[in-house]
Amino acid sequence: MNFKRIAGTAVGPVFAILSALIAGGILLLIIGFNPLKTYSQLFSLGVGTYLGLTESFKRMAPLLIMSAGLIIVFKAGIWNIGGNGQFLIGAIFVGGVAPLLVDRVPLFLFFIVLCILGFVGGAAWVTIPAVLKAKYQINEIIVTMMMDFVAINFSSYLVRYPLNAQPGRFPQTILIPLEKRLPNIVFTEIHIGLIVGIVVVILAHYFIKRTTLGYEFRFAGENKKAAFYAGVNIKKVIVLAMLLSGGFAGLTGAIDVLAIKGAFQAEWNPGYAFSAIPLVFLAQLNGIAVIPLAYFFSFLSIGGEFMSRAAEVPVFFVQVIEALMLIFFGVSEYLKKRSKLFCGF
Amino acid sequence: MASGGETVVEMRGITKCFGGMFANDDIDFDLKRGEIHALLGENGAGKTTLMNILSGMYHPDSGEIFIKGKKVRIGSPRESLELGIGMVYQHLTLVPTLSVLENIFLGTNRKFLLPKKEAEKRVRAISKKYGIDVDPHVEIWQLSAGEQERVEILKLFYRGSDVLILDEPTSVLSPIEIDDFFAVLKSMADAGKSVIFITHKIEEALFISDRVTILKKGVKGGEIDLSGIDIENEGARLKEKIVGMMFKDASFSEAAKEESRKISDRVVLALDGIVAKSDRDVEALKKITFDIHEGEIFGIAGVDGNGQKELAEVIAGQRKVESGTITLNETEITNRSIRFINEMGVFYVTEDRIEEGSVANFSLAENAIFRCYRNEPFAKSGILLNMDRIKNYCDGLIESYSIKAQSSDTIVKTLSGGNIQKLILAREFSYCPAVLICNKPTHGLDVMTMQYIRNELKAQSEKGVSVLMISSDLDEIKEVSDRIGVIFKGEIIQILPNRGTSKKQIGRLMLGITD
Ligand SMILES: Nc1ncnc2c1ncn2[C@@H]1O[C@H](COP(=O)(O)OP(=O)(O)OP(=O)(O)O)[C@@H](O)[C@H]1O
Ligand SMILES: [Mg+2]
Repeated sequence: MNFKRIAGTAVGPVFAILSALIAGGILLLIIGFNPLKTYSQLFSLGVGTYLGLTESFKRMAPLLIMSAGLIIVFKAGIWNIGGNGQFLIGAIFVGGVAPLLVDRVPLFLFFIVLCILGFVGGAAWVTIPAVLKAKYQINEIIVTMMMDFVAINFSSYLVRYPLNAQPGRFPQTILIPLEKRLPNIVFTEIHIGLIVGIVVVILAHYFIKRTTLGYEFRFAGENKKAAFYAGVNIKKVIVLAMLLSGGFAGLTGAIDVLAIKGAFQAEWNPGYAFSAIPLVFLAQLNGIAVIPLAYFFSFLSIGGEFMSRAAEVPVFFVQVIEALMLIFFGVSEYLKKRSKLFCGF
Repeated sequence: MASGGETVVEMRGITKCFGGMFANDDIDFDLKRGEIHALLGENGAGKTTLMNILSGMYHPDSGEIFIKGKKVRIGSPRESLELGIGMVYQHLTLVPTLSVLENIFLGTNRKFLLPKKEAEKRVRAISKKYGIDVDPHVEIWQLSAGEQERVEILKLFYRGSDVLILDEPTSVLSPIEIDDFFAVLKSMADAGKSVIFITHKIEEALFISDRVTILKKGVKGGEIDLSGIDIENEGARLKEKIVGMMFKDASFSEAAKEESRKISDRVVLALDGIVAKSDRDVEALKKITFDIHEGEIFGIAGVDGNGQKELAEVIAGQRKVESGTITLNETEITNRSIRFINEMGVFYVTEDRIEEGSVANFSLAENAIFRCYRNEPFAKSGILLNMDRIKNYCDGLIESYSIKAQSSDTIVKTLSGGNIQKLILAREFSYCPAVLICNKPTHGLDVMTMQYIRNELKAQSEKGVSVLMISSDLDEIKEVSDRIGVIFKGEIIQILPNRGTSKKQIGRLMLGITD
């Protein structure tokens, strides 16, 4: 019974992935590449090499943490699509404050304080759209998206002027020394952000499923009128859900700075939210399903980056695959709905 | 009446199974030209499912369908429409922010530009032919349930349907609207259209139809031809026969309200000069003043749309009071939060079971805890939901209200309309509250369940619960109330004791005739 249910929900994403790979193969053929060769290269670089594996696991961390926030906010029926901006603000907060703390506090406290700071930064950035939505019913999609542009320019200003480590050189904040970065998981070269990611996404999953607040979030997301009738404070749900998702986006920025970058650099905008949004939809907003899919997305993007160097396949080819996956997922949902209509399952 | 006309629809041996449970089991059904054919059966008997099969929503597991003698396979609602079959669903499906005309277009127009002029002309012609009176330019949210029902029918005519399936069209209509509606039905049948009409009111079926078919737990319970039968004299006997065909053990009594009941002097709920606005921002309640005593059932009679919904919402805290005060057990609750008022002991059965009273994609268990999910034992320290306790609790409700569902994990949208209503009633009734507000509590329920709910209301009042009972069904009001307030255009124009007041008297007051 349980197995059947899991299999039933996995059908959609698996169908989407396979169809996207096939359609991508046809595209490759059209633009003059040998699809079989390209894919085997993609897999051997992405999975077959130590570097490919390690890098893919590292890339999972930001996707997982970002997804945790998105699951929560999407379940509450709110469209925070400004994760990239919230990410940047969390990252610049950490990049700016880390040098002040780095030699003054014990290392573990350093990490904790900065992670919290990143979370607060991301949450702070989403307060404006959250309040506008809760108080005046202003569409959050537009406001969160516009706040992205503001975040890009605001962080760019900060890193070029007040927080610039060495004016005249390429603008970035003061670098955190290598020995003060987030440690690796034992026996690997993968930083512990991966564990943080897995933990928060599982927590988000159970938060939504098993807590009273999570119930209120789902309630408001499914049927606002009924939630109001049952006495759920809709405004509280809107603000809290948005703050949590913004916070997780900011935490993603903190982890990326603390583990990999060591500083906030100008022009840096990895756009994790735009991968995490399709990811959580493929996972049908299920936190557990997010984990394997996050691996697949990471593998695609790392493998794609490697391949573009080796085989001259353009790097955005993997983005084409991601987009195709979403399209085919939509198709599978449609087919499922139809068959449900007619077979009654 | 055209009995003996040609057979337009014939369904043979229809079987439909949902995950191991037979919703329809080997059902035969047929419909003749110009016939009004009523479909009766208890909640969850499979009426909607059978009609969904005819309208192409579901595909039967086995069985055959013939339209005008030709065997067909109906793959989708579109194919069904093309065969001339149109259905008005149990829960109306119009888009509130679009106009009547735009709603009629929806799903039919294949042209790039809307052929407005031409369509309007056709709509008006159809309106005139069948006496369906609606203005094509008003938006749906401004219409009453009865008017919306007419728009749905108009839409089907516009699409050229000559077999109309109406799923419980009268359950949301007030008595006056029902009379108009029946006139429309008659003119349709006279024009050669055929109508399948689902209802829970046996009197209605006897009054309007040429034939009735009865379903009983998914199988056909019987069929009665009414042509040539003298309903006046044989109505009572027929009703008994039909009830016998619908239920296993049909023994129910319409226990009239005990008239000599002593009501306590203690006032539980008091409204004083309540003024409130409707969603359309016009004054919906104008200085409403009344009070309800402990253990009293106070009936509100009125034609739909005279402020009933707003009155209920104001007490439950869902609508802002502009002026006036509401007092509950000596505590003022005017404009307090919904949660606060609920915790003070006010529970509210909304009339809108689909949009407001339940969440379609939640399980029964999740729908059962609307009012108590924060409390022990359902939540540990108000944070962690205890799913086992919640399911147990829900199983109890399913059991005691005989809700037809596979388990407490079942998704609510797969329940039949009446069973969703039962779930909402079970939820709001189970706390033994201080005040129970019920807006049309029995709409969509079969006769047995309806009686059960009315008896339950009386039992609650015996236990000291004060009930505000809003209904447009005068029989219901008369049966359960101790006192009756008549609402007209947002005012309680008179409050009468139930005893010694006739239905006719109330009916006149409902139309605003005071003399
Ligand atoms: N899509 C579905 N999935 C699972 N079960 C279903 C589905 N649709 C209907 N059922 C079940 O089939 C049975 C018959 O339902 P149906 O809606 O036909 O009843 P009904 O006679 O119209 O009742 P009511 O008078 O309450 O509207 C019910 O037990 C219902 O739960
Ligand atoms: Mg039904």
